[in-house]
Amino acid sequence: MDKTNKILFKSSTKNLYLLRKFIEDKAKTFGFDESSVNQIILSVDEACTNIIKHAHMYNEKEIIEVELDTNENQFIIKLNYKGKAFDPNNISNPDMKEYFNKFKIGGLGVPIMKKFMNKIEFLHLNPDKNSLTLIKNL
Amino acid sequence: MEEFSIKTKQKDNISILDIEGYLDAHTSVELEKCFEKIISENKFKIIVNFEKLSYISSAGLGVFMAFIETARSNAGDIKLCAMSDKIYNIFDMLGFPILFEIYKEENAAIEKFN
Repeated sequence: MDKTNKILFKSSTKNLYLLRKFIEDKAKTFGFDESSVNQIILSVDEACTNIIKHAHMYNEKEIIEVELDTNENQFIIKLNYKGKAFDPNNISNPDMKEYFNKFKIGGLGVPIMKKFMNKIEFLHLNPDKNSLTLIKNL
Repeated sequence: MEEFSIKTKQKDNISILDIEGYLDAHTSVELEKCFEKIISENKFKIIVNFEKLSYISSAGLGVFMAFIETARSNAGDIKLCAMSDKIYNIFDMLGFPILFEIYKEENAAIEKFN
């Protein structure tokens, strides 16, 4: 690994803007084009929004640790958090025809992450630690 | 810090929302309240102008899904317009143009209502 960066965020949707700015700066510096930077920002936003809602249930006392690693051609974002475990890889993409026919709401964060990132890894460590890793190739 | 804001205007029986800034899980609550208010006034013909919107996440998309059925079942619609390529690509990637009419210009959306 060439570089490691770590930052802690209070688990609140209020902080999504700051989180996006942090990711944007690092992804640009790493050398991604604008389109890829936007894809990474959105994927991390979706991942953190899910953690804030489902793992922390909007409890702002909880913390999300964002850890960035890079190697020669990969940008690796690791989100460490406590709370309910959730592996996006276990979720199937919704049938969008049915989604629109039934006017469904929500559930699009995971498909976005899967579409825009090259790899998603989830690790649950006992007793109460989760690690969600999003990887984008340069 | 970049903010989110909504300016609403009325053109005949059409409510037009100019949205600006970033629309995420935090700011989408404001847009939701705005839709609730418009719908509660029995205004169902709605246009959302995206010209000044710089960012949208799935939480923002959810707001449009939440009100489209009500608008249409009351002889109205939610028509979207003036998106940047960046924003349109998100809608398009998820298939939203199947359900929503998306126009390049606000006038085209107004004409479609008329």
